[in-house]
Amino acid sequence: MPENTVPASQYDALVIGGGIAGEEAALNLANMGFYVVLVEKDLSLGGKMIHLSKVFPTLDCSACITTPKVSETARHSNIKIYTYSEAKDIKKVSNNRFSVNIIRKPRYVIEEECTGCEACEKVCPVIVEDQYQYDLVGRKAAYIPFSIANPRIATIDIDNCILCGACEKACLAEAIDFTQKPEVIPVEVKSVILATGYDLFDAQKLPNYGFNKYKNVVTAMQMERQLVPTRPFNAVLRPGDGKMPSNIAYVLCAGSRDATVGNPICSQICCMYSIKQAQLLMGALPMADVTIYYLHIRAFGKGFNEFYMQARGMGVDFVKGKIAKISEKENGNLIIRYEDVYKGKVKESEHDMVVLSTGIMANQGITGMFPDLNLDTDPYHYIKQIDELRNPSRTSIPGVFVAGAVSGPMDIPDSILSAGAASSETASYMRRLP
Amino acid sequence: MSAEKTRTIDVIKQQRQVPELAKQRRKAFADMRKTIRTALEDEPKTIPELAAATGLQVGDLTYYLMTMRKYGEVTVGQVDDDDEYFYYELTKKQTHNDKS
Repeated sequence: MPENTVPASQYDALVIGGGIAGEEAALNLANMGFYVVLVEKDLSLGGKMIHLSKVFPTLDCSACITTPKVSETARHSNIKIYTYSEAKDIKKVSNNRFSVNIIRKPRYVIEEECTGCEACEKVCPVIVEDQYQYDLVGRKAAYIPFSIANPRIATIDIDNCILCGACEKACLAEAIDFTQKPEVIPVEVKSVILATGYDLFDAQKLPNYGFNKYKNVVTAMQMERQLVPTRPFNAVLRPGDGKMPSNIAYVLCAGSRDATVGNPICSQICCMYSIKQAQLLMGALPMADVTIYYLHIRAFGKGFNEFYMQARGMGVDFVKGKIAKISEKENGNLIIRYEDVYKGKVKESEHDMVVLSTGIMANQGITGMFPDLNLDTDPYHYIKQIDELRNPSRTSIPGVFVAGAVSGPMDIPDSILSAGAASSETASYMRRLP
Repeated sequence: MSAEKTRTIDVIKQQRQVPELAKQRRKAFADMRKTIRTALEDEPKTIPELAAATGLQVGDLTYYLMTMRKYGEVTVGQVDDDDEYFYYELTKKQTHNDKS
């Protein structure tokens, strides 16, 4: 790692995370006249929302809502963005300033030169799982993350590169640069907004449901990708054999409200995203039957219960039952063994595809960013709001605030509201500094 | 265009070795691609038909076939009579005459 020899750039606020909450917070502050540096660990802005099909309960196009905000953030003159970068070593240098090291990872592509033409991608001979399609399909080692990525520029996945040099030869813009090294960019800021979102629950921690063992058991995020126009397959298909499914089951609370897998709390979004996907599936596959196995339907938000009743009205079958086990037949169909709570019986049913409505977990990499400061977390490892009722964005470190799901599970509108509150509290804090 | 420009790939080659897994992935894709292309040369096939023709494991076949579709090598045709499986065929190369 190179030494810090560059003088630190000065900003008003550091926003960590370029998802919907981070963008909202950064834009609000920038529009108030503050200078913001935004750090995103991924290759593109947009967070998880940019990969979703529609939002509940309005069924508006998710990408259509988020991409204008992404573009506005990227073009705002008061916002400096570092993608594929991480904020580290956040320390207090005085009562009203933090020092931060931004670690910029090498893309092996000169950002200013890359035109996003995909020439490198076409000639790359290596295929690895495409993380942006949740491993349903492959991508090249030289790749553009996804079609609406911002910035839409290529990256070389050096760990999977065979160093053949085909990409460099094919790049007419001469943008490939294998000599790039990680950079350390020191900055100083008056305040920090944490908007790092959440992690998806790892479905492999539920061995009785057979994820990664049975190809036709998928996660809800994999189904979400199948429902977007830039989907991995040509239609909604079983990953195991490319068959159009006609009988799909959803298993709710897969990795939520379950202390045995380390996530005893409700993830708050799974009921509604499953109901949303069920409705979208009935549009995509008009002949398909969709069954949702649930413990309780938590339709608590504005318009949520009506949305739930709409799904029932469309013919989605809701079965109250706890799933004990999923097993696979030779033809790839899946047998669900469950307890039908209303009838008090153990039953089995056959489906040709099963979707695990996986929950969300706290992103646990945050406290390590503050080596000398004590950033409190709650019992579930989310960042603790120390004055939740009066100042919901405050953390245990004065000058550090939370926006979105970094402080607990929440849906998109609540994340945006939380980001609004965080930017407002941050602005108020900075205006009161000497 | 500078013919003398040093290729940066030559620099990194001095500094790091190619990971074994990356070599295996390249070979796996090359082998799969060749097998799928050969099997689709004569006529469009569904995934079960392709699996029967090639002996490939159907899950792996789906993954690589869909990857080839993503990169434009394979085109999707009609669905079969049971409305279960789509037919896939090799993408026809556009000739100069096609474009005009």
